[in-house]
Amino acid sequence: MQLSKMKLPHMSKYTISCCLFLLAFFAQAQENKPLEQNDSLVYKKNYGLRVGVDLSKPIIAARDVDYKGFEIVADYRLRPNVYIAAEMGHVEKTSEEDRYQFFTKGSYLTVGINRNAFKNWLEMDNELYYGFRYGFSRFSQTLNQYTVFQKGVAIDGISSAYFDPATEQPNRKFEDQNAHWVSLVLGMKVETFKNLYLGLAINISKLLRIDTPDNFENLYVPGFNKVYATNSSVSFNYTLSYRIPLYKK
Amino acid sequence: MKNYFLALGFFCFALSACENDDFCAENTSPKLLIRFYDKEDPETLKEVPLIVWAEGKDTIYPLSVLDSIALPLDTSNKQTTYKFSTTNIVDELQFTYVREDFFISRSCGYIAIFKNVALESQSNNWIESAEISNATIENETAAHVKIYH
Repeated sequence: MQLSKMKLPHMSKYTISCCLFLLAFFAQAQENKPLEQNDSLVYKKNYGLRVGVDLSKPIIAARDVDYKGFEIVADYRLRPNVYIAAEMGHVEKTSEEDRYQFFTKGSYLTVGINRNAFKNWLEMDNELYYGFRYGFSRFSQTLNQYTVFQKGVAIDGISSAYFDPATEQPNRKFEDQNAHWVSLVLGMKVETFKNLYLGLAINISKLLRIDTPDNFENLYVPGFNKVYATNSSVSFNYTLSYRIPLYKK
Repeated sequence: MKNYFLALGFFCFALSACENDDFCAENTSPKLLIRFYDKEDPETLKEVPLIVWAEGKDTIYPLSVLDSIALPLDTSNKQTTYKFSTTNIVDELQFTYVREDFFISRSCGYIAIFKNVALESQSNNWIESAEISNATIENETAAHVKIYH
Protein backbone atom coordinates (compact mmCIF):
# COMPACT_ATOMS: atom_id res chain seq x y z
CA MET A 1 0.00 0.00 0.00
CA GLN A 2 2.78 2.32 1.10
CA LEU A 3 4.76 1.44 -2.02
CA SER A 4 2.05 2.12 -4.54
CA LYS A 5 1.31 5.46 -2.91
CA MET A 6 4.95 6.42 -3.24
CA LYS A 7 5.23 5.37 -6.84
CA LEU A 8 2.36 7.35 -8.33
CA PRO A 9 3.84 10.86 -8.04
CA HIS A 10 7.14 9.52 -9.40
CA MET A 11 5.36 7.96 -12.35
CA SER A 12 3.65 11.21 -13.20
CA LYS A 13 6.92 13.09 -12.89
CA TYR A 14 8.46 10.60 -15.27
CA THR A 15 5.65 10.98 -17.77
CA ILE A 16 5.82 14.76 -17.67
CA SER A 17 9.58 14.61 -18.07
CA CYS A 18 9.21 12.51 -21.20
CA CYS A 19 6.59 14.85 -22.67
CA LEU A 20 8.74 17.90 -22.04
CA PHE A 21 11.74 16.19 -23.48
CA LEU A 22 9.88 15.33 -26.66
CA LEU A 23 8.48 18.84 -26.83
CA ALA A 24 12.04 20.07 -26.89
CA PHE A 25 12.71 18.20 -30.12
CA PHE A 26 9.41 19.32 -31.54
CA ALA A 27 10.30 22.91 -30.87
CA GLN A 28 13.73 22.55 -32.40
CA ALA A 29 12.32 20.97 -35.51
CA GLN A 30 9.94 23.86 -35.99
CA GLU A 31 12.59 26.47 -35.73
CA ASN A 32 15.01 25.04 -38.25
CA LYS A 33 14.46 27.77 -40.76
CA PRO A 34 16.52 27.80 -43.97
CA LEU A 35 20.09 28.89 -43.37
CA GLU A 36 20.78 32.40 -44.40
CA GLN A 37 23.68 32.87 -46.75
CA ASN A 38 25.42 35.59 -44.83
CA ASP A 39 27.39 33.63 -42.21
CA SER A 40 28.79 36.71 -40.59
CA LEU A 41 25.34 37.62 -39.30
CA VAL A 42 25.22 37.94 -35.52
CA TYR A 43 22.00 36.88 -33.83
CA LYS A 44 21.12 39.19 -31.02
CA LYS A 45 19.88 37.77 -27.72
CA ASN A 46 16.67 38.81 -26.05
CA TYR A 47 17.09 40.34 -22.63
CA GLY A 48 14.29 40.68 -20.14
CA LEU A 49 12.64 39.40 -17.01
CA ARG A 50 11.37 35.86 -17.38
CA VAL A 51 8.59 34.82 -14.99
CA GLY A 52 6.77 31.54 -14.72
CA VAL A 53 5.03 28.94 -12.61
CA ASP A 54 5.85 25.40 -11.63
CA LEU A 55 3.29 23.17 -13.36
CA SER A 56 4.04 20.07 -11.32
CA LYS A 57 2.86 21.35 -7.94
CA PRO A 58 -0.79 22.04 -8.91
CA ILE A 59 -0.87 18.70 -10.74
CA ILE A 60 0.40 16.83 -7.68
CA ALA A 61 -2.06 18.80 -5.52
CA ALA A 62 -4.93 17.74 -7.77
CA ARG A 63 -4.04 14.08 -7.33
CA ASP A 64 -2.98 14.10 -3.69
CA VAL A 65 -5.35 15.44 -1.01
CA ASP A 66 -2.43 15.61 1.44
CA TYR A 67 -0.57 18.18 -0.64
CA LYS A 68 -1.09 21.81 -1.61
CA GLY A 69 1.57 23.94 -3.21
CA PHE A 70 2.58 26.50 -5.76
CA GLU A 71 5.86 27.95 -6.96
CA ILE A 72 6.70 31.09 -8.93
CA VAL A 73 9.99 31.21 -10.80
CA ALA A 74 11.86 34.14 -12.29
CA ASP A 75 15.17 34.80 -13.93
CA TYR A 76 16.99 37.67 -15.54
CA ARG A 77 19.71 37.47 -18.16
CA LEU A 78 22.89 39.17 -17.04
CA ARG A 79 25.16 37.98 -19.84
CA PRO A 80 24.38 35.86 -22.92
CA ASN A 81 24.84 32.66 -20.93
CA VAL A 82 24.45 33.80 -17.33
CA TYR A 83 21.18 34.29 -15.52
CA ILE A 84 20.27 35.36 -12.03
CA ALA A 85 17.41 33.11 -10.94
CA ALA A 86 14.95 32.81 -8.06
CA GLU A 87 12.07 30.62 -6.99
CA MET A 88 9.51 31.26 -4.31
CA GLY A 89 6.64 29.13 -3.18
CA HIS A 90 4.31 27.86 -0.51
CA VAL A 91 3.65 24.25 0.50
CA GLU A 92 1.18 22.53 2.83
CA LYS A 93 1.81 18.84 3.13
CA THR A 94 0.82 15.95 5.37
CA SER A 95 3.58 13.35 5.52
CA GLU A 96 2.71 9.81 6.47
CA GLU A 97 5.47 7.60 7.79
CA ASP A 98 5.07 4.05 9.07
CA ARG A 99 4.45 4.98 12.68
CA TYR A 100 3.80 8.72 12.68
CA GLN A 101 2.16 11.48 10.73
CA PHE A 102 2.94 15.18 10.57
CA PHE A 103 1.85 18.31 8.76
CA THR A 104 4.19 20.93 7.32
CA LYS A 105 3.12 24.40 6.22
CA GLY A 106 5.37 27.19 5.05
CA SER A 107 6.98 29.34 2.40
CA TYR A 108 10.39 29.42 0.82
CA LEU A 109 12.68 31.48 -1.36
CA THR A 110 15.71 30.35 -3.34
CA VAL A 111 18.14 32.67 -5.15
CA GLY A 112 21.11 31.89 -7.34
CA ILE A 113 22.83 31.79 -10.70
CA ASN A 114 22.25 29.66 -13.80
CA ARG A 115 24.86 29.15 -16.46
CA ASN A 116 23.85 27.96 -19.89
CA ALA A 117 26.11 25.30 -21.39
CA PHE A 118 24.13 24.80 -24.61
CA LYS A 119 25.39 26.29 -27.89
CA ASN A 120 22.36 27.55 -29.79
CA TRP A 121 22.04 27.51 -33.56
CA LEU A 122 20.95 30.64 -35.36
CA GLU A 123 18.49 32.71 -33.39
CA MET A 124 17.39 29.82 -31.17
CA ASP A 125 17.41 30.53 -27.48
CA ASN A 126 17.29 27.22 -25.61
CA GLU A 127 19.20 26.31 -22.51
CA LEU A 128 20.86 23.36 -20.92
CA TYR A 129 22.10 24.83 -17.70
CA TYR A 130 23.67 24.21 -14.37
CA GLY A 131 23.45 26.49 -11.41
CA PHE A 132 23.61 27.10 -7.72
CA ARG A 133 21.02 28.27 -5.23
CA TYR A 134 20.81 29.45 -1.69
CA GLY A 135 17.48 28.55 -0.14
CA PHE A 136 15.57 29.65 2.91
CA SER A 137 12.29 28.44 4.34
CA ARG A 138 10.13 29.43 7.27
CA PHE A 139 7.47 26.94 8.26
CA SER A 140 5.48 25.26 10.99
CA GLN A 141 5.54 21.56 11.76
CA THR A 142 2.65 19.76 13.47
CA LEU A 143 3.07 16.27 14.87
CA ASN A 144 -0.43 14.82 14.46
CA GLN A 145 -0.03 11.25 15.58
CA TYR A 146 2.47 8.58 16.45
CA THR A 147 2.60 4.95 17.53
CA VAL A 148 5.31 3.79 19.91
CA PHE A 149 7.73 1.46 18.16
CA GLN A 150 8.21 -1.82 19.98
CA LYS A 151 9.90 -4.70 18.22
CA GLY A 152 7.76 -7.78 17.79
CA VAL A 153 8.19 -10.96 19.79
CA ALA A 154 8.71 -14.23 17.95
CA ILE A 155 6.18 -16.83 19.06
CA ASP A 156 6.34 -20.14 17.17
CA GLY A 157 8.56 -18.45 14.62
CA ILE A 158 6.07 -15.68 13.85
CA SER A 159 7.11 -12.25 14.99
CA SER A 160 4.33 -9.92 16.06
CA ALA A 161 3.63 -7.27 18.64
CA TYR A 162 2.97 -8.90 21.99
CA PHE A 163 0.96 -5.94 23.25
CA ASP A 164 -0.85 -3.48 21.01
CA PRO A 165 1.49 -0.48 20.97
CA ALA A 166 0.25 2.83 22.33
CA THR A 167 -0.89 5.44 19.81
CA GLU A 168 -0.78 9.07 20.85
CA GLN A 169 -2.32 12.10 19.17
CA PRO A 170 -0.31 14.98 20.56
CA ASN A 171 -1.27 17.48 17.80
CA ARG A 172 1.82 19.36 18.85
CA LYS A 173 2.60 22.38 16.69
CA PHE A 174 6.12 23.75 16.31
CA GLU A 175 5.95 27.32 15.01
CA ASP A 176 8.66 29.48 13.42
CA GLN A 177 10.94 26.75 12.18
CA ASN A 178 13.74 27.89 9.87
CA ALA A 179 15.91 26.06 7.39
CA HIS A 180 18.80 27.22 5.17
CA TRP A 181 20.29 25.18 2.38
CA VAL A 182 22.35 25.21 -0.82
CA SER A 183 21.41 23.43 -4.04
CA LEU A 184 23.00 22.33 -7.25
CA VAL A 185 20.60 22.77 -10.16
CA LEU A 186 20.67 20.97 -13.49
CA GLY A 187 17.99 21.89 -15.98
CA MET A 188 16.82 22.72 -19.44
CA LYS A 189 14.60 25.41 -20.94
CA VAL A 190 13.09 25.24 -24.39
CA GLU A 191 11.57 28.16 -26.24
CA THR A 192 8.37 26.65 -27.62
CA PHE A 193 6.80 29.87 -28.89
CA LYS A 194 8.31 33.32 -29.08
CA ASN A 195 9.39 34.18 -25.52
CA LEU A 196 7.45 31.24 -24.04
CA TYR A 197 9.57 28.60 -22.34
CA LEU A 198 9.03 25.12 -21.00
CA GLY A 199 11.56 24.07 -18.46
CA LEU A 200 12.52 21.27 -16.18
CA ALA A 201 15.11 21.18 -13.46
CA ILE A 202 16.44 18.86 -10.84
CA ASN A 203 17.71 20.27 -7.54
CA ILE A 204 20.07 18.41 -5.28
CA SER A 205 20.18 20.20 -1.96
CA LYS A 206 22.09 20.05 1.26
CA LEU A 207 20.95 21.66 4.49
CA LEU A 208 23.25 24.23 6.06
CA ARG A 209 21.22 24.82 9.18
CA ILE A 210 17.83 23.66 10.41
CA ASP A 211 15.86 24.08 13.63
CA THR A 212 15.17 20.95 15.64
CA PRO A 213 11.83 20.88 17.43
CA ASP A 214 11.74 19.44 20.95
CA ASN A 215 11.55 15.62 20.76
CA PHE A 216 10.91 15.63 16.99
CA GLU A 217 12.76 16.44 13.76
CA ASN A 218 11.95 18.54 10.72
CA LEU A 219 11.71 15.75 8.18
CA TYR A 220 10.05 17.77 5.46
CA VAL A 221 10.90 21.35 4.56
CA PRO A 222 8.92 23.43 2.04
CA GLY A 223 11.07 24.03 -1.05
CA PHE A 224 13.73 21.63 0.15
CA ASN A 225 11.53 18.52 0.15
CA LYS A 226 11.90 15.33 2.17
CA VAL A 227 15.01 15.47 4.35
CA TYR A 228 17.11 12.35 3.93
CA ALA A 229 19.50 10.89 6.51
CA THR A 230 22.47 12.88 5.19
CA ASN A 231 20.50 16.16 5.49
CA SER A 232 20.12 16.19 1.74
CA SER A 233 17.23 16.07 -0.70
CA VAL A 234 16.20 15.92 -4.33
CA SER A 235 13.43 18.00 -5.87
CA PHE A 236 12.13 18.70 -9.34
CA ASN A 237 10.20 21.41 -11.06
CA TYR A 238 8.52 21.70 -14.45
CA THR A 239 7.99 25.29 -15.40
CA LEU A 240 6.12 27.31 -17.94
CA SER A 241 7.55 30.81 -18.17
CA TYR A 242 7.31 33.92 -20.28
CA ARG A 243 10.07 36.40 -21.01
CA ILE A 244 8.99 40.00 -20.91
CA PRO A 245 11.34 41.31 -23.59
CA LEU A 246 13.10 44.52 -22.61
CA TYR A 247 15.89 44.89 -25.14
CA LYS A 248 18.12 42.99 -27.57
CA LYS A 249 21.87 42.80 -27.42
CA MET B 1 35.54 19.74 -21.61
CA LYS B 2 35.12 21.77 -18.43
CA ASN B 3 31.40 21.21 -18.67
CA TYR B 4 31.85 17.44 -18.81
CA PHE B 5 33.84 17.50 -15.59
CA LEU B 6 31.18 19.64 -13.98
CA ALA B 7 28.48 17.24 -15.12
CA LEU B 8 30.45 14.29 -13.77
CA GLY B 9 30.96 16.05 -10.44
CA PHE B 10 27.28 16.85 -10.28
CA PHE B 11 26.37 13.23 -10.99
CA CYS B 12 28.66 11.93 -8.24
CA PHE B 13 27.20 14.42 -5.78
CA ALA B 14 23.72 13.31 -6.80
CA LEU B 15 24.51 9.66 -6.15
CA SER B 16 26.01 10.33 -2.75
CA ALA B 17 23.35 12.79 -1.67
CA CYS B 18 20.35 10.67 -0.85
CA GLU B 19 21.09 7.94 1.58
CA ASN B 20 17.78 6.40 2.44
CA ASP B 21 16.92 5.38 5.96
CA ASP B 22 13.70 3.48 5.47
CA PHE B 23 14.75 0.64 7.72
CA CYS B 24 15.00 1.12 11.44
CA ALA B 25 18.39 -0.18 12.56
CA GLU B 26 18.51 1.39 16.00
CA ASN B 27 17.18 -0.05 19.22
CA THR B 28 13.45 0.16 19.74
CA SER B 29 11.53 0.34 23.03
CA PRO B 30 13.64 -1.59 25.55
CA LYS B 31 12.34 -4.71 27.27
CA LEU B 32 12.30 -5.54 30.95
CA LEU B 33 15.31 -7.70 31.71
CA ILE B 34 14.84 -10.26 34.52
CA ARG B 35 17.58 -12.45 35.96
CA PHE B 36 17.06 -15.43 38.23
CA TYR B 37 19.29 -15.91 41.27
CA ASP B 38 19.75 -18.66 43.80
CA LYS B 39 17.94 -17.85 47.08
CA GLU B 40 20.62 -19.71 49.06
CA ASP B 41 23.41 -17.82 47.34
CA PRO B 42 22.04 -14.45 46.14
CA GLU B 43 25.13 -13.67 44.06
CA THR B 44 24.82 -16.71 41.80
CA LEU B 45 22.56 -17.04 38.79
CA LYS B 46 20.32 -20.10 38.89
CA GLU B 47 18.55 -21.50 35.89
CA VAL B 48 14.89 -22.42 36.05
CA PRO B 49 12.59 -24.37 33.68
CA LEU B 50 10.16 -21.65 32.80
CA ILE B 51 6.92 -20.85 30.98
CA VAL B 52 6.02 -17.15 30.88
CA TRP B 53 2.92 -15.32 29.66
CA ALA B 54 1.19 -12.04 30.29
CA GLU B 55 -2.32 -12.04 31.70
CA GLY B 56 -4.74 -12.87 28.88
CA LYS B 57 -1.97 -13.36 26.29
CA ASP B 58 -0.18 -16.22 24.56
CA THR B 59 2.91 -17.80 26.01
CA ILE B 60 5.89 -15.58 25.35
CA TYR B 61 8.51 -18.03 26.64
CA PRO B 62 7.51 -21.62 25.98
CA LEU B 63 9.14 -24.18 28.25
CA SER B 64 12.85 -23.48 28.34
CA VAL B 65 15.57 -23.54 30.98
CA LEU B 66 16.88 -20.04 31.53
CA ASP B 67 18.55 -17.73 34.00
CA SER B 68 17.50 -14.50 32.32
CA ILE B 69 14.55 -13.33 30.23
CA ALA B 70 13.54 -10.11 28.45
CA LEU B 71 9.86 -9.17 28.52
CA PRO B 72 8.10 -6.35 26.66
CA LEU B 73 6.02 -3.96 28.74
CA ASP B 74 2.55 -2.89 27.65
CA THR B 75 2.87 0.69 26.39
CA SER B 76 -0.91 1.21 26.35
CA ASN B 77 -1.21 0.62 30.09
CA LYS B 78 0.47 1.82 33.25
CA GLN B 79 1.03 -1.74 34.43
CA THR B 80 1.82 -5.20 33.08
CA THR B 81 1.21 -8.49 34.83
CA TYR B 82 3.30 -11.53 33.93
CA LYS B 83 2.81 -15.10 35.07
CA PHE B 84 5.84 -17.32 35.63
CA SER B 85 5.26 -21.05 35.74
CA THR B 86 7.76 -23.72 36.72
CA THR B 87 6.73 -27.35 37.15
CA ASN B 88 3.07 -26.23 37.15
CA ILE B 89 3.51 -23.85 40.05
CA VAL B 90 2.54 -20.34 38.94
CA ASP B 91 3.70 -17.04 40.37
CA GLU B 92 2.49 -13.64 39.33
CA LEU B 93 4.35 -10.33 39.24
CA GLN B 94 2.74 -7.01 38.48
CA PHE B 95 4.96 -4.16 37.33
CA THR B 96 3.97 -0.50 37.28
CA TYR B 97 5.85 2.24 35.44
CA VAL B 98 5.72 5.67 33.88
CA ARG B 99 6.22 5.74 30.12
CA GLU B 100 8.17 8.43 28.26
CA ASP B 101 8.36 8.60 24.46
CA PHE B 102 11.41 9.74 22.56
CA PHE B 103 11.87 10.49 18.90
CA ILE B 104 14.77 8.42 17.56
CA SER B 105 14.93 8.83 13.78
CA ARG B 106 12.85 9.03 10.61
CA SER B 107 12.71 5.26 10.20
CA CYS B 108 12.26 4.31 13.85
CA GLY B 109 9.93 7.11 14.93
CA TYR B 110 9.10 7.15 18.63
CA ILE B 111 10.24 4.62 21.19
CA ALA B 112 9.19 4.33 24.84
CA ILE B 113 11.43 4.18 27.86
CA PHE B 114 10.07 3.32 31.29
CA LYS B 115 10.72 5.14 34.53
CA ASN B 116 9.83 4.54 38.18
CA VAL B 117 9.47 0.84 37.57
CA ALA B 118 8.00 -0.80 40.67
CA LEU B 119 6.68 -4.17 41.78
CA GLU B 120 3.04 -3.55 42.53
CA SER B 121 2.27 -7.06 43.70
CA GLN B 122 3.87 -10.47 43.74
CA SER B 123 2.99 -13.99 44.78
CA ASN B 124 5.54 -16.26 46.41
CA ASN B 125 4.81 -19.86 45.50
CA TRP B 126 8.15 -20.76 44.00
CA ILE B 127 9.68 -17.30 43.96
CA GLU B 128 11.29 -16.54 47.29
CA SER B 129 11.49 -12.81 46.57
CA ALA B 130 11.84 -10.30 43.76
CA GLU B 131 13.38 -6.85 43.70
CA ILE B 132 13.86 -3.98 41.29
CA SER B 133 17.57 -3.45 40.71
CA ASN B 134 17.17 -0.69 38.15
CA ALA B 135 14.00 1.42 38.14
CA THR B 136 14.66 3.03 34.75
CA ILE B 137 14.43 0.91 31.61
CA GLU B 138 16.47 2.72 28.96
CA ASN B 139 18.40 -0.22 27.52
CA GLU B 140 18.77 -3.97 27.79
CA THR B 141 22.35 -4.13 28.99
CA ALA B 142 21.80 -4.73 32.73
CA ALA B 143 19.06 -6.53 34.66
CA HIS B 144 16.15 -4.43 35.86
CA VAL B 145 14.61 -7.10 38.10
CA LYS B 146 16.20 -9.81 40.20
CA ILE B 147 14.20 -12.87 41.18
CA TYR B 148 15.44 -15.18 43.92
CA HIS B 149 14.18 -18.74 44.00
